[in-house]
Amino acid sequence: MKKSIFSRLIALGVLSALIATASTGCRFGFASNPDDPNEVEEVEPIDTSVDTFAYDPSLQGTSITLLNSKAEIQSALVEMGAEFEKKSGVHVEVMPVTDGDSPYTKVVSLYNSGNPPTMSILDTTDVIALAEEKAADLSSEPWLAEAEGYLTEVNGKVYSFPLCIEGRGMIYNKAVIETALGETFDPASIRTLDDFTALLDRLVEAGIERPVSLAMEDWSLGAHHLQYVYETYDGTSAGAAEAIELLKSGQLDLTSYDRMSQFLDMFDVLRTYNVAKSDPLGADYDEMAIDLVDGKTAFWFNGNWAWPNLEDADAEKDDEYGFLPYFMNNDPDDFVNWQIQASPSKQVMLDGVVATEQQLAAAKEFLNWIVYSEIGQQMLVKTCNIIPPFRNNPYEPSDPLSRDIYSHVHDGTAFNASAIVPNDHWSILGAAMQKYLAGRSDRAELIASIEDYWAQQK
Amino acid sequence: MKGKSGGKDFCGFALPGMFCFFAVVIIPFLYGVYLTMTDWNGVSAVKNFVAFQNFASVLKDTQFWTSLLLTFKYVIFVVIIVNILAFAIAYLLTRGIKGQNFFRAGFFTPNLIGGLVLGYIWQFVFSRVFVGIGEATGWSLFESSWLSDPNLAFAALVLVSVWQLSGYMILIYVAGFMGLNQDVMEAASIDGATGWVKLRSIILPLMMSSITICLFLTLSRAFMVYDVNLSLTAGAPYGTTEMAAMHVYEKAFTSRQFGVGQAEALILFVIVAIISGIQVYLTKRQEVEA
Repeated sequence: MKKSIFSRLIALGVLSALIATASTGCRFGFASNPDDPNEVEEVEPIDTSVDTFAYDPSLQGTSITLLNSKAEIQSALVEMGAEFEKKSGVHVEVMPVTDGDSPYTKVVSLYNSGNPPTMSILDTTDVIALAEEKAADLSSEPWLAEAEGYLTEVNGKVYSFPLCIEGRGMIYNKAVIETALGETFDPASIRTLDDFTALLDRLVEAGIERPVSLAMEDWSLGAHHLQYVYETYDGTSAGAAEAIELLKSGQLDLTSYDRMSQFLDMFDVLRTYNVAKSDPLGADYDEMAIDLVDGKTAFWFNGNWAWPNLEDADAEKDDEYGFLPYFMNNDPDDFVNWQIQASPSKQVMLDGVVATEQQLAAAKEFLNWIVYSEIGQQMLVKTCNIIPPFRNNPYEPSDPLSRDIYSHVHDGTAFNASAIVPNDHWSILGAAMQKYLAGRSDRAELIASIEDYWAQQK
Repeated sequence: MKGKSGGKDFCGFALPGMFCFFAVVIIPFLYGVYLTMTDWNGVSAVKNFVAFQNFASVLKDTQFWTSLLLTFKYVIFVVIIVNILAFAIAYLLTRGIKGQNFFRAGFFTPNLIGGLVLGYIWQFVFSRVFVGIGEATGWSLFESSWLSDPNLAFAALVLVSVWQLSGYMILIYVAGFMGLNQDVMEAASIDGATGWVKLRSIILPLMMSSITICLFLTLSRAFMVYDVNLSLTAGAPYGTTEMAAMHVYEKAFTSRQFGVGQAEALILFVIVAIISGIQVYLTKRQEVEA
């Protein structure tokens, strides 16, 4: 009897140890997506003393819901909602999209159960898919004027509120480059693919064996890399849409389309200098942030959403990180070689099916409050750490990556093009890109799978 | 009289259960069958009837058939390895070896960890620990992450599933072994049956009911595998480890073709139902009474 209790105790011990490892295991093992809901943000003080925003007293006591698909700003949005409630009397309930759910699936299931959120933060593709059937028309809202160039139109109407600008490119760690080369580094001096390759060669000579980190995740390869092919058609969203239409109809031949081969030229350079060259598909996302901060690498292809990862890897807010363009050829005047891609990503869509007049009015007031009130403007930038697409917002983001995108946007060294592609583009063509990254397919095979994909989208 | 009380009993005992069964199984199932004949994208208010167009699309979806083939391969490996391993371990754990209760608990533990968590733990093991071992020892098998090679990633999936499922099956087999009639075993020994003969002619037939259950459970669980697939490989590298259930989900929710996804799910259901049915029928016939 005694023995059996003893062995049970051991079993219990083993069990609890396993559960403990299980619950912590994914923290370091999982190539996580960049949005970490557990992120503890430093709180920047918000000045609430000045508030000239005119609140509508008839909306007091209204309750609205906000579905949030941008996990890293969950707590910031809750704070924002609370502040808004204090001022306006409108209660904003912020619901997160849990990890593992896609925002689209979540919002669709809420619609199907007859209980949609008043406001939903969604990707542009999702907004376009839902707009005409479910969304409220926002075409006559006052903030449209402040966000010119960043609006998404569906058949001439605006159904969504651009929440933030996000940009991507080659993230560099300035200190690492300068220490390795022993000279000051001016990112603007790199203007062609040859310049970039020469810089990489010098870094290799200086002892950084493989200076580039290249994520193997399908969303990175399929969406962030490959979409340059469409977005650089002429550097506008309309151009990207045109390129896609031409691809669908088979009029754009990728084997002869110059942007396709230029894109692969750059991608091949990145492949060559990839820190995980020996096993590119085994590359670990979390490790890339650590490598960049520690100076094992000098570049990481990613976007300003990667800041929480860098911060986790002990990067400081006053360290110098920034973006180099995705160099595609050797013409220093080609916009791709001196402009960073930056465009609105997340959008707020208002429900036009179930929400009452009162709720819609309250939701519209909330959006206006973000754009026009002193508090809303500050909270969008400081609390949510977002690059605002609104011209009247005077605040600058505080982390180096967002700051760099912000200054590119304001200096005119950013191009605003985002390709609207079908929802499975990143996963299907991401797999094709992974195959190419691993060296298991050649250019011809990759191009064939891209053309196949588009041929099926008619 | 009989009919009346029978009706009352039926209402009191069977009706609530039947209501739930219809509400959560039969009706959604029939609705699902209906969806296979519409072009619904999951959102729109209008569902157009398209008859069998979705099934025609399924035929053209080569990725689905590839993933189905892969699922078959996976099922064969998992079912055979899990059952042989579980049977052998259960046999050892019913022979009264020292600390057998501890071992039973230990082997069962992986089954208590959810498939998702398990997948992430093993992802760490395959892509970090193994690579670390490879770097330290120079063994070529561990040089690069298993998850970046199509064949090794498949092996990893099988390995993790076996690790997870075996514990549960061990439990069932242990129960089966404990229920073996000792008189029969003794009689067999007296008649001179030992080792292999005893196993083949006495133990296996008497264990057939456990084998039926275990085969059925492993078959259906392996066919429907999704959680481990998602968390361990997510179809990587480049979509080569995408099993049927995952492909169905991707089709319906990522590619937003509900009708086609639903049709594929129905096909998968029919295949699993037929195979499990045949298996239960065949193994049931082998069952004997002591």
